[in-house]
Amino acid sequence: MNVPALVNPELQVAAVPAAAQRSLAREWRLASRTVRVSAGCLTLFYMFAAVSPFFASYDPIYQNRRMPDCPPMQLHLSAPSYWSHGLLWTDPLTMSDAEARTYVADTSHRIYIHFFSGGHLFTTDSETEPFYLLGSDSLGRDLYSRIVYGARVSMCVGLVGVLITFSLGIVVGSLSGYVGGLTDNLIMRWSEIEMSLPSFYFLLALAAIIPPGIGAAERFLMIVAIMSFIGWAGLARVIRGMASSVRSNPYVEAARALGGSRWRIITQHVIPSVIGYAIVAATLSIPGFILGESALSLLGLGIQEPTPSWGNLLSEAMDPQNLARYPWILIPGIFIFLTVMSFNFLGDHLRDRFDPSNAR
Amino acid sequence: MRDELSRAASRVLIATLALAISAGCNVNRAHNDHQRQQILQNYFSSDPQTFNPILVTDLISGRILERVFDPLIQVNNKTTLPEPGIAESWNISPDERTVTFHLRHNVRWFDGQAVTAHDVLFTLAVIYDPKVPNSVRPGLLIDGKAIVADAPDDYTVVMHLPRPFAPLLYSAGIQVIPAHILEPIWKAGNFNHTWGINTPPSEIIGDGAYKLTQYVQGQFVRLERNDDYWMKDEHGEQLPRLHGYVSLIITDSNATYLRYLYGQLDVYSPRPEEVLDIRDKIKQGRLHAQLKDIGIDTGESFFCFNRNPRHYTKDGHTDPKLKWFTDLNFLKAVAHLIDKKAIIDLVEHGLAAPAVSDVSPENKLFYNPNLKDYDYDPQLAAQILESAGYHMVNGRRVDPQGNPIEFNLMTSTGSPEADQICAIFKQDLENPAIGMKVNYQPLEFTTLVEKVDGSFDWDCVMMGLTGSIDPNDGSNFYRSSGNLHLWDPNQPKPATPWEAEIDRLMDEGAVEMDEQKRVPYYWLIQQILHDQLAVIQITRRKVFASWVNTLQDYQPTVWGLYKPEWMYFKND
Repeated sequence: MNVPALVNPELQVAAVPAAAQRSLAREWRLASRTVRVSAGCLTLFYMFAAVSPFFASYDPIYQNRRMPDCPPMQLHLSAPSYWSHGLLWTDPLTMSDAEARTYVADTSHRIYIHFFSGGHLFTTDSETEPFYLLGSDSLGRDLYSRIVYGARVSMCVGLVGVLITFSLGIVVGSLSGYVGGLTDNLIMRWSEIEMSLPSFYFLLALAAIIPPGIGAAERFLMIVAIMSFIGWAGLARVIRGMASSVRSNPYVEAARALGGSRWRIITQHVIPSVIGYAIVAATLSIPGFILGESALSLLGLGIQEPTPSWGNLLSEAMDPQNLARYPWILIPGIFIFLTVMSFNFLGDHLRDRFDPSNAR
Repeated sequence: MRDELSRAASRVLIATLALAISAGCNVNRAHNDHQRQQILQNYFSSDPQTFNPILVTDLISGRILERVFDPLIQVNNKTTLPEPGIAESWNISPDERTVTFHLRHNVRWFDGQAVTAHDVLFTLAVIYDPKVPNSVRPGLLIDGKAIVADAPDDYTVVMHLPRPFAPLLYSAGIQVIPAHILEPIWKAGNFNHTWGINTPPSEIIGDGAYKLTQYVQGQFVRLERNDDYWMKDEHGEQLPRLHGYVSLIITDSNATYLRYLYGQLDVYSPRPEEVLDIRDKIKQGRLHAQLKDIGIDTGESFFCFNRNPRHYTKDGHTDPKLKWFTDLNFLKAVAHLIDKKAIIDLVEHGLAAPAVSDVSPENKLFYNPNLKDYDYDPQLAAQILESAGYHMVNGRRVDPQGNPIEFNLMTSTGSPEADQICAIFKQDLENPAIGMKVNYQPLEFTTLVEKVDGSFDWDCVMMGLTGSIDPNDGSNFYRSSGNLHLWDPNQPKPATPWEAEIDRLMDEGAVEMDEQKRVPYYWLIQQILHDQLAVIQITRRKVFASWVNTLQDYQPTVWGLYKPEWMYFKND
């Protein structure tokens, strides 16, 4: 556990920037390859969320009604003399049988793929002659673009959720642990009640009472709020245990002897000593939020169409017949999997760094 | 949903059918015990609501009770003509005002009592009782007057009509109920609480081909053969041939299909995306079943806007929505924004056709083929809106008073198909050139029905209605006073001239006795509904039926089963 040293605060402030620079580079060197890949994945996905219009090839809700359930298209490298048209090209596909949704390639002309054109990373000249990197869904929407836009919901739900849960968990936990007595008793009994509720059913029940007419953003926030409401109790209990052990440390007693107020002692001494654990726990709990959102959206109670989220993109794959015929609709699941794994690796790594006593 | 398609005497609301799914499973279709025992396993998508044939409003109860209670006259589902039921013959007087029914002498209630003319008169009295809510009554009122009936002897019923009434033989398909059991209950005023779903099945006394023997809520309904049934085949052998039915209640369409594939169901109505799968499996020899294209859906599915003024007036204010939804230009623009081709390709896998009239082309006599569809044309729609004073302001379409156009679109949950149709519709209305805003709200079917015909709290709905062979059976939909006159039900008197015109055409069409002469009345009604866009038609599906190979003489039609008493399992 890192012990906040009783040093001159000015010295500490001066030391921070250089140390931070050094430590970031040092952290990267210390990290294993798995952790580096994880960090890379997460950075990419957060960039998807931050600048979706750039990464997406097309409007995620544009329905190309002549190309439902179109398979991922094949890329071809142009001969050097055609590089002025585009480096890569694909054959346009046309649906040959509406019942079976089979596509035939039209080899008479090529669709060239342009990079950095029209504010997109890569796209084609028109939405009606598209290039589907990952195929299209049953309404003819580009799956890749939808995954990029879906990252907004799926990646942010973890961050926002953790922010709410942890502000609540840390404040309530520290307060309860430090103050003790009746307050502690009440808060902990309340958190036990909450922990004893079967969380997924509770989540379903709460999601069902969200009024139907509200906008996508409000709905998103409500879902996050619901999940946070369920998630804070476990963290608060652990923090409370740590806080009550910190309480009898000499530096806390010293602060108390010097007349520090309760609030000051909690914010200056108790919280900093538990924050390391909290960061690790936060990282490890983000996947829970992402999976929670996916599950709700999959069941139609989360993010509503046409707004994409990785969960509701997967709902088409709930139909085994669709899955057998159009296996690419499972790709959003790969993104969820990568994100969850990345957060877990990163969380493990952070725990090793912050809390060496627990290192394996 | 339609496991075996059936015809209702009045129109019934239906949710748009949910799509089900299949897995690539290898099906081992051994002969099952239930097939050896001549018991047919089929399925219902929800529980029945009542076992009282007069009080039926839902499709499932109707499906069960049509086997337990025989009608006075039945309709041949192949020829769509009336044929004998309890009445073995009937004759119509030359002035067409008296119809005499001669009842069979060998029809018995399950408790052994004979079915007599008294039972028929009692049934009519119950139907006309204003205290008994039922959907049969509107079809049996002629100019608002009841039919007077009497019984010269035990096996003859004479109906006196106030004036000639062509649909009588279809409307007379009423299921007769036993007077010796129900008359005292009716007189005591308890009829509406009799024979609910909690009644022990042995107390349901009918006269049909099957007895109700067991009902476990949420699980199954079991029917067993009535060995005293009056019907015999051409060799004098007792009918029906099947010894019973077990109808599993399966709410999940996904599970239903898988159960069919695994041999737990003997009959199935595949949804468009399953048709190909079933065909492939049959071809590969993995499913030993038949698949047949039996025709076009007889029902309709549509978008409907709420024009009921009661919904919009609150505290002296009238919601501007009422003005949009009664404005023909607005409705026309919306009709031009429905991309039926996309719906057919994307949602129906090509196995559907655009619907123009509210009557199905399957209704060969009354279908009006001359209606011109509103073609998908967003530019034209934008023009219509512009010229009617709906302009674009800051990227939003506003009405002439400056209110932005935004409304709620409801449909029933659990149907990926309805979701997709609504997603396509929403996309077209929200396209930047149109600029409306549509809030999509899928609701539970019962909640939806409650809103649509109970609290009237809705703006726009996408749903369906069953069809009928005789258009007069659609009285509750066409007439301004009808309870399923969805856009503005139960009107004391017609709110618009065209609704008054439809009421008049319904009256006159019912009086004309020559079938061919009746046609123009109903063509005109279809034309008016099409022009006024009271409901905006979407598409009509091709209907398929699939059944196991061992089931013989199973003859599904779009209107229902033909000769269901004849089917049996062939066991080797």
